[in-house]
Amino acid sequence: MDKIAIDENISQQAETVVGPSVKIQGDLNSEGNIKIEGQVAGKVKTSQSVFVNQGAKIAADVLAGNAVIGGEVQGNIKISGHLILQSTAKIAGDISCTILRVEDGAQFSGKCVMNGAAAPTATGNGKRAGRDEELEPEE
Amino acid sequence: MAFRILFEICNLIFGIFLYYYILDQGNLPLEKYEKLQTQLQGLLAEFKISGEAARVTPLRSVTDLVDTASQRGIKTLVACGSDDTFNVMLAALKGRDFTLGFIPFDEQSMLAKILGIPDLFTGVKTIAGRRIEKIDLAKIGGSYFISFLEFGVMSQQLKNAGLWQSLKLLSSESRSFTIEIDDSYTVTIDGMGGLVANIRSTSGKNEGIANPTDGNLDLLIVERLTKTQVVTYRGAIADGLLEKVPNTTVIKCKKIRFLEPRGFSLTMLGRVVSKFPVTVEIIPHRLRMIVGKNRTF
Repeated sequence: MDKIAIDENISQQAETVVGPSVKIQGDLNSEGNIKIEGQVAGKVKTSQSVFVNQGAKIAADVLAGNAVIGGEVQGNIKISGHLILQSTAKIAGDISCTILRVEDGAQFSGKCVMNGAAAPTATGNGKRAGRDEELEPEE
Repeated sequence: MAFRILFEICNLIFGIFLYYYILDQGNLPLEKYEKLQTQLQGLLAEFKISGEAARVTPLRSVTDLVDTASQRGIKTLVACGSDDTFNVMLAALKGRDFTLGFIPFDEQSMLAKILGIPDLFTGVKTIAGRRIEKIDLAKIGGSYFISFLEFGVMSQQLKNAGLWQSLKLLSSESRSFTIEIDDSYTVTIDGMGGLVANIRSTSGKNEGIANPTDGNLDLLIVERLTKTQVVTYRGAIADGLLEKVPNTTVIKCKKIRFLEPRGFSLTMLGRVVSKFPVTVEIIPHRLRMIVGKNRTF
């Protein structure tokens, strides 16, 4: 799923939309897509996608399937799929995802862990260790 | 013949197929009401679902009639009148178990449109067909509803208002609302108002908002509008399609506690139902409703 597809998916099918003048205090859980344009002081959790618009602020952890961040997040972001940090994003916390895209101008301070990332091998070539290697005949 | 005997036995012992019709004049002129009643009696006899019909009078309210039906062990209640007749009947159930039906006397009925019953004839035919759908029931305080409640925004007033009247209604000062959702988080918003929907006339099975079979309520809150936005979106607001207005907050949930501002009214079709603070919650698939083939959900 590319960035445009994720954007359109969330914008058009967002089950929960938090408007610009909204302030949420507490944990926001949803079963569908979430679009945040306001402020959330609490965990944001969904198995689907989260879109944090420019100007939006989240002061807690974000757990989701996919995420597009254009606003400010002060907390850890744990994503099982795609994470896109837009040019206006400001992240202060650790991130964890499978596929990461960072646009020019995005600010990020924290650790980054890629799910299912290749473990560094002894040769240091970054090749996935384990089954793939076992299949290749040694010369 | 055997089926007929079984039908009669079931009626006598269990009251399962016995229909209780609550006839309400509402705002109809007496002449039109009498004409509709005669037409109704004829159709009920034709479709062999006569049952018992009771008229609402100043001394015998819809609530009294629901109590009478309950005492007699009747299982199917049919509201014949306006949307308001059905809503009052629903509120009078007080948790008692009935299968419900609706026959519209009012051509502008929103409920008739939702249930796929455009007129009296289709209404009677639908009751006879007895296609039952389990839908979500919303509860407010000790009362029940299936459609939607509004606060701040009055779609009924907007429907009849002209441009200047709409500008006046929607350009007023915004209010600060505090609402608790699912005992999990609190929403604070400066807005014009909004609605809590279970069903609305545009509901559909594939609709994300106001689907009466998804086990959720939908809370929509409109932020303060500019004059241009009022002109552009007043039609959508009048139709209850608040999600079409920019910056509208949409929340899907099971329980809503309206906390602030205290004393602010929640209305249904322009009638005040309750005031803040109040809790609205959904009971999934609680209501057995006789529905038409062309229902919107």
